[in-house]
This record gives sequence, structure tokens and C-alpha cells, in this order.
Amino acid sequence: MKRLREFFQKENDHSADVARERLKMMISQDRMQRSQPDFLPRLQSELVEVIKRYTQSEQSDIQISYHSLPQRAQIELNVSWPRNTP
Amino acid sequence: MARVVVVTSGKGGVGKTTSCASIGTALAMQGYRTVLIDFDVGLRNLDLVMGCERRVVYDLINVTTGEAKLSQALIKDKRLDGLYMLPASQTRDKDALTYEGVGEVIDALKEEFDFIICDSPAGIERGAILAMYYADEAIVVSNPEVSSVRDSDRIIGLLDSKTRRAEEGETVKAQLLITRYDPERVEHSDMMSMQDIEEILAIPVVGVIPESPAVLRASNQGIPVVHDTPSDAGQAYSDTVARFLGEEKPMRFVELERKGLFSRMFGGRR
Ligand SMILES: Nc1ncnc2c1ncn2[C@@H]1O[C@H](COP(=O)(O)OP(=O)(O)OP(=O)(O)O)[C@@H](O)[C@H]1O
Ligand SMILES: [Mg+2]
Repeated sequence: MKRLREFFQKENDHSADVARERLKMMISQDRMQRSQPDFLPRLQSELVEVIKRYTQSEQSDIQISYHSLPQRAQIELNVSWPRNTP
Repeated sequence: MARVVVVTSGKGGVGKTTSCASIGTALAMQGYRTVLIDFDVGLRNLDLVMGCERRVVYDLINVTTGEAKLSQALIKDKRLDGLYMLPASQTRDKDALTYEGVGEVIDALKEEFDFIICDSPAGIERGAILAMYYADEAIVVSNPEVSSVRDSDRIIGLLDSKTRRAEEGETVKAQLLITRYDPERVEHSDMMSMQDIEEILAIPVVGVIPESPAVLRASNQGIPVVHDTPSDAGQAYSDTVARFLGEEKPMRFVELERKGLFSRMFGGRR
């Protein structure tokens, strides 16, 4: 019985460290989302629409990320598409 | 100047009502005229923790709608002079409480009291925002648990954006109250420490309340646990209020009590 308990205790050892790391990730994401302007999702979908009209990009080829800097906000747009090499 | 303080958390069941009752009681013990407002519409229970449920006649909504005068709805604490509470309504219509109505009640209470303590409902929706809207300061209650700390961070975000002070370009001073803390589990790295949580949330800790059987005992009797002066939780709450009032106090009940050499060698139970 005691062995079993010790085993689980070892398994669970430092679960607080895991909790702390998970929280840091979650909270930085939450904070990022909070600072995003409300129009961002619409802007994103319109950008995707326009890009697709001109290129052969798939949804996964288009990456849009938002950054909030102290004085300015910024979006970073990364687009790639397959080239039609003859 | 009256100070309006919201006790809030996001996550439910972390100890807001327990904390309100003891913080308000400790303030009144120090001679401050204090009123507690229960904002938990439909789930009122601050009156139960305060032990005055049988004297509830009118509630906050009755006052905002003019069905009752403020003086008729306020319940005087039976143990302490200068301590009052304003119960929540049992109605299921949560929208019955309005911003204007609450604002008028708080303005009237500011004339009479030093501290107005608002017991927030759980969640991050209208009820919680209404409870924090007029606050000058906040006590954010958190348990050392992932979901609770995350919700505390959300609540801090709302304090920074959805309160009247935020709308006026001012800040609501937020302090952290960690409850249900278990130093033994922290020692074994099974529970996040006070320092971990403080670092993540980046607001100062005003108190740490240990997990304690005294809390249930107190709520069973309808006596705020701070009246139980020998108990760990009672002492932790009175330290918390001393710090809240600006006193320097070292944290107690955050370190594991060292067992004697004998029990460490032979008793060895973790
Ligand atoms: N330090 C503590 N030690 C042990 N039990 C505690 C402690 N603090 C609170 N509790 C218990 O946790 C439960 C929830 O407490 P409480 O009602 O104060 O939480 P709450 O945040 O107001 O909940 P809600 O979100 O539902 O309003 C109660 O049963 C209470 O007795
Ligand atoms: Mg409550």
C-alpha cells in the first residue's frame, strides 16, 4: 500500500511546475486576445478572401498575426503559394 | 472618504463570500463603519455566512426600485456596532438590477460608511461587472489552481476596462487574496506557491488564507471565521485586513510547520 502511494507521489511530483507553465502560456494568450481590436476577425477574413482571389494560396498558407506594441499596433502577414513551374 | 471595494474572482466557489464576511467583520472590529452588499442575485448567501438570514425582509433590488427605503433593507450585525449588510434578491430575473440603481444606492451608502464591500457573483458576465463597476479597489480571490488563477487574470482585465474608474481613465487598485492554501502540498510541489501566483498575476498579495476546517465550522454557525480568533484562518483574515489598512505584516501559515526531529525520523507520515 505504502509503495503504491509512493509511486503515485513520484508520478505527481512537481505537478505545480506543470501548472505554472501551463498557466503562463494560457494567460499570455488570453492577454493577447484581450488587447486585440474587435474588427480583427473581419479584417482577417477579408484579407484571406482578397489573397485567395489573386494567388493559389490555401487557408494554411496565409498567416496573420497581431502584435500590440506600446505605441502602435501591427499585423504581420505571411503568404505563400505554389508556383506553377512549367 | 468612503472606499468601495469589490471582492471578485471569476471562478465560483473560491471563497469570495467567506472572505467578504470576515474582511467586513474585521474592519468593523477596528471601528470602521462597514456595509457588505451581496450582488449574487438569485443565489444570495452572504446573509447565511453572516448568520442574519432570518432577519432579511427587503433586498438590494427592492431598494433600487423604490419598494423599500435603504434604511429598511440594511440589516445591522448582531455582534458588532457599525457593521451592516444589504442582502441580494432571490429573484430569478438577474436584469432587475441596473447600473443606475446600484449607483444611487452606493452614493447613498458613501454618506454613512467608511467601507462598502461588494460580494461579487461568480463569472465574468453582467452580474460580476455590475458588482465591480463602482469599485475604487478590488480584492481578487484566487485558489492555487490553474482554472482559478486564469479566471483571476480575466477579472483583472475587466477591472482595467469595464469599471467606471477605467472609463474615466483611472485605475482600480487590485490586490490578491489567495485562499485554501495548503503549505504541505506547496512544499511537495503539488500546489502552486504564493510566489508563483503573485508572479503570474502581477498584483500584490494582500493575504493568504490556509485551507482550514475552521471555515466550514464558522459557516455552519453563521459566524464569520475571523471571530474564531484562535483559528489559523481567523488569524489569517485579521492579518489580511491589517495589511489592507496599510500595516506591514509578515505572511503566516504559508510555511509548513517543521515537525520535531523525533517525528521526522520515526513518524515520517507526509
Ligand atoms: N480557507 C478555506 N478553507 C476551507 N474551506 C473554505 C475556505 N474558504 C472557503 N471555503 C469553503 O469553500 C466553499 C465556497 O466558499 P464561498 O461560498 O465563500 O465561495 P464563493 O467564491 O463566494 O462562491 P460563489 O462563487 O458560489 O459565490 C464554502 O463551502 C466554504 O466553506
Ligand atoms: Mg459567494
